[in-house]
Amino acid sequence: MSGRGTIRIVVLGGGTAGWMSASALAKLLGPLVSVTLIESEDIGIVGVGEATLPHIRGFVERLGIDEAAFMRATHATYKLGIDFHDFGRIGERYVHPFGTFGEKVAGVPFHHYWLELAARGMAGPIGDYSLAVAAAKANRFAPPAEDDSLRSTYGYAYQFDATLFAPWLRDFALPLGVTRVEGLVTEVLRDGESGDVTALKLADGREVAGDIFVDCSGFRSLMLGQALGEDWEDWSHWLPCDRAAAMPTAHVEAEIQPYTSVIAMPGGWRWRIPLQHRIGNGYVFASSFLSEDEACEAIRAAAVGERIAEPRLLRFRPGRRTRSWSRNVVGVGLASGFLEPLESTSLYLTQMAITYLIELFPQDGRIDARDRDEFNRLVDMEYDRIRDFLILHYHATVRDDAPFWNHVRTMTVPDTLAAKMELWRETGRIERYSEGLFYDASWIAVYMGQGFLPERHDPRAAIPDPARVQAAMRSLRGAIADEVAAMPGHRAYLTGRAERLAAAP
Amino acid sequence: MSVAREPLRRVIVAGAGQVGVLAAIAVKRASPATEVLVVATPLDPAAFAEHIGTALPFTNRLHDRLGIDEEALVRRAGASHRLAVRYADWAGIGNAALAAYGAASDPKLNSAFAREWGGGPRGAGSGGPAGSVGAALATAGRFMPPKGDAPSPLAEVDYALRWNAPAYRDLLIGIAAGLGVRHHPGPIAAVQADDKGGIAAVELVGAGALAADLFLDASGTAALLATGQPGRRWVDWRGALPARGLAVGAATAPRLDLTDTIALTDAGWCWEQVGRDGVTRFLAVPDGVSEAAVVAALGGAPADRFAIEAGRQAEGWIGNVVAIGDAAARFEPLGGIALDLAHRQIDLLLDLLPGRGIDPRERAEYNRRFALMADAARDWIASHYAAPEARRRFAPIEASEALARLLDQFQRHQRVPIVEEAPVATGEWAGLLHALGVQGARSALSMAEGDGPGRRAAALLERKVATALDAAPPYDAWIGHMLREG
Repeated sequence: MSGRGTIRIVVLGGGTAGWMSASALAKLLGPLVSVTLIESEDIGIVGVGEATLPHIRGFVERLGIDEAAFMRATHATYKLGIDFHDFGRIGERYVHPFGTFGEKVAGVPFHHYWLELAARGMAGPIGDYSLAVAAAKANRFAPPAEDDSLRSTYGYAYQFDATLFAPWLRDFALPLGVTRVEGLVTEVLRDGESGDVTALKLADGREVAGDIFVDCSGFRSLMLGQALGEDWEDWSHWLPCDRAAAMPTAHVEAEIQPYTSVIAMPGGWRWRIPLQHRIGNGYVFASSFLSEDEACEAIRAAAVGERIAEPRLLRFRPGRRTRSWSRNVVGVGLASGFLEPLESTSLYLTQMAITYLIELFPQDGRIDARDRDEFNRLVDMEYDRIRDFLILHYHATVRDDAPFWNHVRTMTVPDTLAAKMELWRETGRIERYSEGLFYDASWIAVYMGQGFLPERHDPRAAIPDPARVQAAMRSLRGAIADEVAAMPGHRAYLTGRAERLAAAP
Repeated sequence: MSVAREPLRRVIVAGAGQVGVLAAIAVKRASPATEVLVVATPLDPAAFAEHIGTALPFTNRLHDRLGIDEEALVRRAGASHRLAVRYADWAGIGNAALAAYGAASDPKLNSAFAREWGGGPRGAGSGGPAGSVGAALATAGRFMPPKGDAPSPLAEVDYALRWNAPAYRDLLIGIAAGLGVRHHPGPIAAVQADDKGGIAAVELVGAGALAADLFLDASGTAALLATGQPGRRWVDWRGALPARGLAVGAATAPRLDLTDTIALTDAGWCWEQVGRDGVTRFLAVPDGVSEAAVVAALGGAPADRFAIEAGRQAEGWIGNVVAIGDAAARFEPLGGIALDLAHRQIDLLLDLLPGRGIDPRERAEYNRRFALMADAARDWIASHYAAPEARRRFAPIEASEALARLLDQFQRHQRVPIVEEAPVATGEWAGLLHALGVQGARSALSMAEGDGPGRRAAALLERKVATALDAAPPYDAWIGHMLREG
C-alpha cells in the first residue's frame, strides 16, 4: 500500500454508479484514500441513463477526460433537450430545452408578455423564442457561446450508450490505482459495538475490509437496505411506473436528432434516444395498468427501424431511502433511490451524491454525524424537488383515454407540488429556489407545453403597446432563426469532428 | 386563455424616509398608471434603514433598475464607494483583515473559493495578503467604477455605496415627484380595516379617508399600518442577536476611504462609516455594558442612543399591507445590512407585484421568501459573533439550525452551504468568516489536491491585481474629477 492513502474505501457494484464513484474518488481524493471496487460478472448491470443532463459535462471535465474520447467510447451524440409528445393531450408536443425562453423585460419574466400576446392571437408557440428549442427542431447543433449573447442562452448534454460508460470508466479508474475485486458478496460483516460495516465477505471466503463503504449494488441495496435496514420511502402512488421494456433499433434517417423523444403511451411513456449507431427505445410503464407482455408488444410495434435486439425488461420502484448515508455506508445510485428517467435525471442523481460525498469527505476517515446529516439533507432536497417536477408531467394533463392517465390526472399530489401549481394557475408565477435542479424555465416549458396555462398573468405585461411587443418578439424569433441557420446539422457537426465518432459496429 | 390582471389603482406608502420613497419609485416605475401616494409619518430616529446611508452591493442593481444614477449620487448625495470592510480585533487583539465584496458569485465555485482563502490563520497584526482584487484596490486607495459594458480589469470588483442620507432622500424625492408620485404631509388620523384582514382606507388630516388596493408600511419601528392588523405576529430574535442598543457617535470630519472599519470592542462591535460628508461611528451594545465602556469604544459621548428589540414580522405581508424596513424587521444594523434587507424586500415585492386583486398564494410566496431573506440576514449578522474574540467576550448566542450548520461546515471543511435568499454570495460569506478569524479546516478535497491549485490561484490573482492597479486611478483623484465634471 506504499504511496497510497490510509482511508480505505470499498465500492460495492460495478455498474455505472459504482465505476463513477470509484473513478471520482480515486481521481479527486487519490492521495488520501485507497479505492477497492467489488463486482461480479454474474450480476448484470441496469445501465440506466442513456440520456443525460448538462451536469455530466462537469463530471467528465473534472476527471480530466477529453470530451472527444468520452463521446467516442460511449457512442455519444449531442442533446439540446427533450421532445415530449402527447402528455398534456394527444397530438400535442413541446420541447423542454436546456435553455431559456426570452428575457425579462422591465423586471417581468418573458412568459407573461407571451401570455398577453397569445391571448390576443399575436404570438407564435413559446418554443419559437428559445434558441435551444429552435435548434433542436431543426436538427442542428453547435456548442453555446461563453458570453452574454443569444448564443449563450442554452446548454447541452449527451445521449450515450450507458452500457459502455461503466466499462470505459473502469479502464480509466484502474490506472489511477483502483483495485478491482471479482466476487459475489455473501455477507456484510459489522462491528458488534458500533454497528459499522467492517468488511464484505465474498463467496470464496475472502474478506474485503474498509473504513467507508459505498453501496452501488443497485436495487438490491445490499448494505444500506439489507444489512443496515434503512427504510424505503415509496413514491409509487405518485409515480406508478415500475417497469421498462428496452429495445434498440437501427437508424432509419440520415439526420441524428439532437434531442431525446419522450412519447406518452396508454400505460406510461416511451423513449427514443438517437446514439451514433443505433436508436435506444424503451417503454416505461406501470405494471398495475399494463402487463409486461403487452408492453413488449407495444414497444415492438411503436419503435421505428430494424430491431437490433428483443425487448429487455427492467423492474424498478420509485422512491428513496429515508437516509442515504447511514453509519459508514453511503448509498449512490439505485441503492439510494430511484426516479424514472422521464427527465434524464438518473446519472445526475448519481453524480450529485458523489459530489456531496467528496465535499463532505472525512479528512481522517472518521465520519462525523453532522456530515451524514448534511449529506442526507442535500440528497433528500434533490430527490424531492425532482420528484415534484416529474409528477407534474403526469398530473398536468386532460388525458382521459386510459385508466393510467385517469389515475395520474386525478391523484392527490404532494402538498409541495400542489402549492406550486396553484401559484402558477392563479398568477403565472414560479416558486423560486436556487439549489437543486429545474428552475423557472423548466417549469414554464412543462406548464406551457402541457397546456396548463395560468388564468391570470402579471398586470405589467399589458402596459406596453401589444404591437410593439409583437415586433420585439418577432425580432427575437428572427435572430433565433438566423442563429439556427448558421449552425451545422447535428450529424454534419459530428462527422466534421470525427475524433468523436466510434468505429461502426 | 390567460388574462392580464387589473393593475393596482392606488398604492399608499406610509413613511417618507429613504425606504418609503424608494418603494414608491419602484411601484410607480413598474406600474405608471397606478396612483402612488406617499404619506409622511412622524420621523422615527430608531429606524436604522431610514437613517443609515449605506447598504450592500445588491442596492446598486436595484438602483440601476429604478433609474437612480450612481454618478448623480456621487455628485449630489455625497456618495462614495466601499470595496471592503476591515475587521479589526475580531480574530485576536491587534489583528485586522479585509473582507471584500464580490469575492465569488458563482455558488459552484464556492469550495474552490474557500480553498483559495487557504487554511490556517493569517499572521496576527498584519492584514495578511490581500485575498481579492477588491481588497488590493482598497488597500492601495485606487478605484473608479467601470463604465458601461466595456471590458475592464475593474469589472469583477463589486462594491457598496455609502451616501449622505438626507441628501439621498432629497434626490429620491425629486425623482419620485418627476414620476408623478404624490405626497401628503400626514399625519394618519385613523386606519379603517377591511373585512379581509387588511386595510380599506386611511384617514388623512385634511384629505379625508383614502382607499387603496395596496398599502406599504415603511413607517419605521412604529409600523403604523401593520400594528393594528389582527393577524400580526412578531418573531423574537433576541436570543440570536446579542445587541440590545445602538449608540451613535457625533459625526467627525469627512474622509475618503475605500474601506469601512468594524472593530470588536469590549462594548460590542463598533462600525466606523466613512463618508465624504462626515464619519460616523455606530456601536452595538449588549446588556450590561457600562457607560464608560461605551464612551471609550466610541471615542466620545454618544450623540444618540436607541434600543434594539431584535425580531421580525412572522409574515411581512398580511391582507393588503406589506411591511418594509424597520416595520418588518429590527436588528443590529451592521455594515449596511439594515437597508440592504429593506431594498431586497422592495425587489421581492416588484417580483410579485400584485394586481388589484391580491392572490393569497402570491402573498404566501412573498412571505416564504421574506422569511428566508430576513432569517439569512439575521444569520449573517450572527455569524460575526463566531469570531474568536467575540466568543471570548460575549455570552453564546442561540444559532439557528442553518447558521449552526454553516459554521460547523466551514470549521470542518471550509464549506459554506447555499443559503436561499442570503444577503451575500457563499464565497463572500466564506471571506467574511476568514476575515473574522474563524478557523476552517482544510477539506479532504483540498488536502488531496495539494498546494498546486492554491499557488496557481494566487499567481492568477497577482496578475489580476497588477492589471487592476494599473487601470485604477487614485480614488480621491477620480472623485475630484467627477465633481469638477458635474
